[in-house]
Amino acid sequence: MPKLIKLAGPTGEQAAQWAENTFVHVADEDAIPEAGDVILSLARFQAEGDTLLSSNSRRVGVRIEPAEEVEALAYDLPRLSVVALAFPKYRDGRAYTSARLLRERLKYEGEVRAVGDVLQEQAGFMVRCGFDAFEPNDGATPEAWTKAANRFRHVYQRAVDARPIAADERAQAQAKEGAL
Amino acid sequence: MYQYDVIDREFLTDRSNEFRHQVTRRLAGELTEDQFKPLRLMNGLYLQLHAYMLRVAIPYGSLNSRQARRLAWVARTYDKGYGHMTTRQNIQFNWIKLKDAPDILDALAEVDLHAIQTSGNCIRNTTADPYAGATAEEIDDPRVWSEVIRQWSTLHPEFSYLPRKFKIAITGALTDRAAVKVHDIGLILRRARDGSLGFEVIVGGGQGRTPYVGPTIKQHLPASSLLSYLEAVLRVYNRHGRRDNIYKARIKILVAALGADEFGRQVEEEWAKIDQGRADLGDLELARIRGAFAQTPFEALPARSEAFEAAKAASPALARFARNNVKAHKKPGYAIVEVSLKAVGQTPGDATADQLDVAADLAERYSLDDLRVTHAQNLVLPHVKLDDLPAVHAALEAAGLATPNIDLISDIIACPGLDYCALANARAIPIAQDIAKTFADPDRAEKIGELKIKISGCINACGHHHVAHIGILGVDKKGEEFYQLSLGGSGAEDASIGKILGPALAADRVAPAIDTLVDTYLAARQGEERFLDTYRRVGLEPFKEAVYAQAD
Amino acid sequence: MKAVTANRLIDGEVVFWKDGAWVDGFGDAQLFDDEQGEQVEAAVAAGKAAPTVIVDPYPIDLITVEGLGLAPVSYRERIRALGPTNELLHGKQAEGGAVVEAIRHASGAARSTGRVDLIRRK
Repeated sequence: MPKLIKLAGPTGEQAAQWAENTFVHVADEDAIPEAGDVILSLARFQAEGDTLLSSNSRRVGVRIEPAEEVEALAYDLPRLSVVALAFPKYRDGRAYTSARLLRERLKYEGEVRAVGDVLQEQAGFMVRCGFDAFEPNDGATPEAWTKAANRFRHVYQRAVDARPIAADERAQAQAKEGAL
Repeated sequence: MYQYDVIDREFLTDRSNEFRHQVTRRLAGELTEDQFKPLRLMNGLYLQLHAYMLRVAIPYGSLNSRQARRLAWVARTYDKGYGHMTTRQNIQFNWIKLKDAPDILDALAEVDLHAIQTSGNCIRNTTADPYAGATAEEIDDPRVWSEVIRQWSTLHPEFSYLPRKFKIAITGALTDRAAVKVHDIGLILRRARDGSLGFEVIVGGGQGRTPYVGPTIKQHLPASSLLSYLEAVLRVYNRHGRRDNIYKARIKILVAALGADEFGRQVEEEWAKIDQGRADLGDLELARIRGAFAQTPFEALPARSEAFEAAKAASPALARFARNNVKAHKKPGYAIVEVSLKAVGQTPGDATADQLDVAADLAERYSLDDLRVTHAQNLVLPHVKLDDLPAVHAALEAAGLATPNIDLISDIIACPGLDYCALANARAIPIAQDIAKTFADPDRAEKIGELKIKISGCINACGHHHVAHIGILGVDKKGEEFYQLSLGGSGAEDASIGKILGPALAADRVAPAIDTLVDTYLAARQGEERFLDTYRRVGLEPFKEAVYAQAD
Repeated sequence: MKAVTANRLIDGEVVFWKDGAWVDGFGDAQLFDDEQGEQVEAAVAAGKAAPTVIVDPYPIDLITVEGLGLAPVSYRERIRALGPTNELLHGKQAEGGAVVEAIRHASGAARSTGRVDLIRRK
């Protein structure tokens, strides 16, 4: 089972730690295990998700490939424990958009997990786009992950996290100055 | 000019530290070359033929004297004493060592310069009219909006791994000196009838192997909605741009495949879903940025300078320089001075460290500490008093920087080509030098008038050959350098893509062919027509006939 | 004839394979004749096995320049072995000598075996 790093707090608090990975990635050609948490492809979930979710108490996640649209999950999200967004290559940046849409537009509050070619160099981008769980592909430790995700003291654009952007910091500094 | 504050500076420090860490990990073998390459590219560091090349951003083409001097220092300390201005308002150093790169980035960060996103599949340095803040034709200052975009696009978490690179250009004037119609996004500042400020938004222009003049997808985007709208465009592109074929991954291919109307519709649909209150920049920050550019301390001067007029009458060289390199300024008593980096026999766009220092000194003393770089690979002193023009001209002349050829036939754009670039198929620089020598007579050059020759050493078209009056593309023909000529392109407000003249020519036949094209034009010219105008009137045939008849 | 070339990781310098090491000058490069294909492959493999020393090793074809010596066939490789043609004192050509002269005179005699992958940035 791949090692899992999770953010300690809700999105925006970036300290990461090892987490128990209870989910099994079930390939489309494999049978779904009798019990235990599973992550399925979108197609498999659309075919078998209802049965799985209603028949027992295990948790279910869905894996979204870059070409698949997260909007397809809009009505299922409240029932999903994990949405795993795939990076077949780290250079494929579509999952960043998918993560933002899950959080900002579809208001998904469950786990958004980065799977595939997941590297610590991208930790900052992933966290800012709303990922809160990671299956690192480069042997990164939670310490390295935390460090990479917090490398920049400032950010310039609003994303999913609650970090104040440069403009906010400036406005704050100005207000403070005005108050003095 | 915009001044970096503590936030901008700490950001650059963090970026520099990050890159130093990445270089250390690469040298220690913790990162493979495949993993490291995109990281160094996002810091502007390429591995070229002879060494690493570092591309440093000059946001909206604007430098102060301290920055220009630091670039000169980098050229002297870490390179072989020169730098190369690119067609996108960057400067490239050709002889950089990987082990020095982190130190160089630190030294640049000290003067608020950086190489962030000068390569990679991300939003690149936003380019702008080099006459910004100086030209009377300006509707609004494009630097304000370029700075807004610079900040917004810097390490954008969602848009740093796009299908391909992404280039934005802005002009606030009707005369387009920023080639906005051949960018991924081109923005033209406009005032609506009710006086409100907005952008005409052009998407999907570009050069490379599939050149397009971009279509307008929005006639009037309210200026304050710029970032939310850009977010919508980039999101549609990030989701739907092709990733299966590197040659079809630019946004122009998506726009062409969907059609501009459908692409525009998808953008509108996405834009409507974006929370603009969050995505757009607040009025306070916008006012802060605008304020930084608004405070240019111009003096009240008479429109005419007797000193300048007298000096001009006494010096034919100054008079020629004034005719070709001095442009109208919005303030009486001031002028915009173009500094040509196209001296005959020189490498187009190259400046030595000493020349950069001279330009820095002149900017500090005579141009309100402002120096610009143009996409045509020249420099600009944007705010020179007419009274000071004789002194500025003399100083430029002493430094080999007074070539009076702006927009003339020897003001040639050329990419580094195969002399430096790992992608090139053929050299570009020697061809430019040949042509400049052929047309070294300045009287003849002035008689020929505006004629824009642009040379690329490969189909990626960094030399903008598609949008040249005469474009030259280097190709590899059975192991020899050959050159394909095209006519009738323009990267300005009358943008068009050039048409191929005929079979490619051997290197030694290029300059003579240009000579023939010019003779053909002069014979057919009516009145004050530019080469481009004559071409557009008479078409390709007479030119083709003249060049290829000679060969038979 | 062939030689094996690459760029050195730490400074990007053009280097050539010579008996188990990477040397700066084309004149010092180990030469392989057509019979020695396996040795060429071994040199490339050795380069690939040393990713913290060099980047992207590959073989290049050479030709004899009448009376002067050897030169790379492709002009791309000749420029790599010399330096840029617009700055004749920059790069390896600064040293001058017979090797440089031979490569310069190879100009025009080429059939390309240089790389032509256009967008793949090195």
